[in-house]
Amino acid sequence: MRARKRTRDTEVELNITAFLNLMVVLIPFLLLNAVFAQVSILQLNLPSAEESPPDEEKKKPLVLEVLIYQDRYEVVDRQSGPLKIINNNVAGEHDSDELRNYLRKIKEQFPDITSITLLAEPDTDYELLIKTMDASRYYQEWFNGQMIKRNLFPDIGIGDAPPDKSRTEPVAAGGAA
Amino acid sequence: MKMSARAKRMERRRKRTSAVAALNLTSLMDIFTIILIFLLVNNNNAAKPPENRDIVLPSSTAETVPQEVLTIQLSGKNLMVQDIPVASVSDILASEEMTIAALKEELDFRASRSAPTINEAGEPEREIMLQADRKVPYVLISKVMRTCMDTEYTKISFAVLRKSEGEGQ
Repeated sequence: MRARKRTRDTEVELNITAFLNLMVVLIPFLLLNAVFAQVSILQLNLPSAEESPPDEEKKKPLVLEVLIYQDRYEVVDRQSGPLKIINNNVAGEHDSDELRNYLRKIKEQFPDITSITLLAEPDTDYELLIKTMDASRYYQEWFNGQMIKRNLFPDIGIGDAPPDKSRTEPVAAGGAA
Repeated sequence: MKMSARAKRMERRRKRTSAVAALNLTSLMDIFTIILIFLLVNNNNAAKPPENRDIVLPSSTAETVPQEVLTIQLSGKNLMVQDIPVASVSDILASEEMTIAALKEELDFRASRSAPTINEAGEPEREIMLQADRKVPYVLISKVMRTCMDTEYTKISFAVLRKSEGEGQ
């Protein structure tokens, strides 16, 4: 009887009140601070292609450029000339899906090329630029029942597009290089 | 007051056992601890959208997590470096120059006050993050980028809102 009593006494309860208080304060604070819209970043390949030494480019079989105009994309190889013009889709938006499909065909021919330069007009929206960057960075395909990402041209440079000849109204201030 | 034998017995019993019934908080503590650790780990200050109401970041599927670096905020109204207004957009658009003098001055000042980080190649470099509104025209972005190229901040990244895969494609 006595022995049993002694073992009961050694069961000391931890005083966790202070810890509990801490939790009650910290958790609402962190929950309020937690932001579920996460920001991520797109890294640029700088200096842009126009400043890179020209002799290095000579060795490459292809120097790929995408010109972003008001009504179309133009995919251009700087050494040989225009490759394809992708007009806006029915909804009047730039057809980034078509651009991605076309760049994928180029990637199959030139798997070693990883760099691309996007040339934009002075009044091109930032959002469109980001959308085009997304389209030229990677494509997705089904592989063993899973969607996986494959790189297209992840080293992106940005530059100014030459003036659009077919555009009638004058382009806003800033001027193209 | 006279008590019945049963009442006395119960009273004695109540005195013998502890008066306060202890709540069993073990599982509550477990949950709290897990939530606390999760929130502390997820609490990345750099990965927060800017508090400026004029800036709505464009969305992208990029997954690179931002670091704590100097930020340039470019809204439709003005240009700010780390919450300090530097130049107004209308002035930048009006000027014919390809760079922004006020921004260059501010960045040079900031560069002179802090040591650059060393990258993997062992070279010093400074990184900068551009948070721009989605409606900003390219000419502004271009001017900011050119100005950064003139200073020591040569590594530029664009901040975007992360959207999930397949969405809007």
